[in-house]
Amino acid sequence: MSNQSIYWNPVLETLPYEKIRKLQLKKFQRIFSWAYEHSKFHRTLYDNDGIKPKDIQSFSDIKQIPTVEKSMMRDIQGKEPFPYGDALCVPLNEVTAYRQTSGTTGQPVYQPDTWQDWEWWAECWAQLLWAQGYRPKDRVFIPFGYNVFVAFWAGHYGAEKIGCEVVPGGVLDTRARILKIQELNPTAMMGTPTYMLGMADTAINKMKLNPADLSIEIITCAGEPGASIPSTKKRIEDAWGAKVYDHAGATEIGAWSFECTEQPGSMHVNDAFFLVEIVDVETGEAIETPGVRGKMIITALDRQAQPCIRFDSKDIIEWDTKICTCGRTSKLIKGGVVGRTDDITKVKGVLFSPSSVENVVRGIEGLGNDYELKVEKINDRDKITLQVEFVQNFSEEMDKIKSKLSDQLRLKTNLNYEIEFCQYGELPRYPVKAKRFKDLRK
Amino acid sequence: MSQKINLSEVDKEIKQLKRTSELLMDQSERFPALQKNITRILASIKMLEINISDIVELDNEQR
Repeated sequence: MSNQSIYWNPVLETLPYEKIRKLQLKKFQRIFSWAYEHSKFHRTLYDNDGIKPKDIQSFSDIKQIPTVEKSMMRDIQGKEPFPYGDALCVPLNEVTAYRQTSGTTGQPVYQPDTWQDWEWWAECWAQLLWAQGYRPKDRVFIPFGYNVFVAFWAGHYGAEKIGCEVVPGGVLDTRARILKIQELNPTAMMGTPTYMLGMADTAINKMKLNPADLSIEIITCAGEPGASIPSTKKRIEDAWGAKVYDHAGATEIGAWSFECTEQPGSMHVNDAFFLVEIVDVETGEAIETPGVRGKMIITALDRQAQPCIRFDSKDIIEWDTKICTCGRTSKLIKGGVVGRTDDITKVKGVLFSPSSVENVVRGIEGLGNDYELKVEKINDRDKITLQVEFVQNFSEEMDKIKSKLSDQLRLKTNLNYEIEFCQYGELPRYPVKAKRFKDLRK
Repeated sequence: MSQKINLSEVDKEIKQLKRTSELLMDQSERFPALQKNITRILASIKMLEINISDIVELDNEQR
């Protein structure tokens, strides 16, 4: 048995929570002053509300600070210095890395990082990968396009920082990536849940290979909520014969949350590096009570080139009552990121989350991984249509499956659906991130 | 492990590393190989500060 620490940072990760809070306040004061002194955008934003750095003395004071939304970042980036605008806190010649958001919710946001910020990204990832069992002995395969999106770039550098051997599976198609896994026997891999399932599907159906017979033992998923949706996690774990761990992060924020090897059904917040607040979606009131969902407002406490202070992430999360058995003292968010305010909507007067439908569909044996969901208004009434596929060559007990799906959907989401069954391969396939829910009422 | 390591002593060494790096940086204006490698070293030292020195500083403030 190795005598290595189970924690990347045995001090910070086991700090009494009261002390974490003191550290967060101190670090918040520091990053707030930094942004106020170095960015015209931040100074103007806070001056308009009459808030100066010396005013931040408590968490109640923090709650009074205006939030920043992605749309504001887009406006900023029309200003000088090109292309980042006046939220930039360092001279342009200190920026060493450019990334951008995917633009799925509008014009992409540009993200500048200094070398120090990039070290910080890798540090956050090193901590989460260590918590998921990555060690220097691991060979890590990264089947990711290495493009302008941050995605698994930081995972690559985080794994290197740990001392893993990293295999960049960049400009390869899915078959070539599977062959590379067969050739090199990597022990770990990173990808979106959609792509991990898609890769497994390619291996089974197009290459007649069983991915569970390959060498992968650990999979880190990010980019979509799937790895925290129990039935999706199970499908990926079963397909690859590997443990699957979730991670949440964002280009503008950093790698703020992760699941550990205990798989408690919740994700740790990296509390020493981030301040996570949850607020009511409609009123903006702070939510401290576990089990109550709201949207996340987050501050990256050490990110300098383009600070992320009280950023309205639109992610829907809730605090867990549990403390993890792994010994980390950080707070847990129950079930990971359960959706986004853009996706969670009222249907027939009921709060509806597409991820709950995914959990039902992928929990039923005989149904494929792919589905499509749409809501439309017909004669002033909401109608939800769900399209699902049977798995390939499946012909038994179709009626039982249909009835089970309908019952489970009603039970888990309190809604009735128009269900359309399709043959395997009929529904769209998504290469990286899936966009299966369409609200046609908007 | 946190009981076996003297964080204050580690912090002192981190500060010494930073002083040395800054001293070298001051001499690097016309020496890119020195300047850019020290920039990277200072970024790594910052990671040591946020992993260790911030906690030591907090403890010292509370005493």
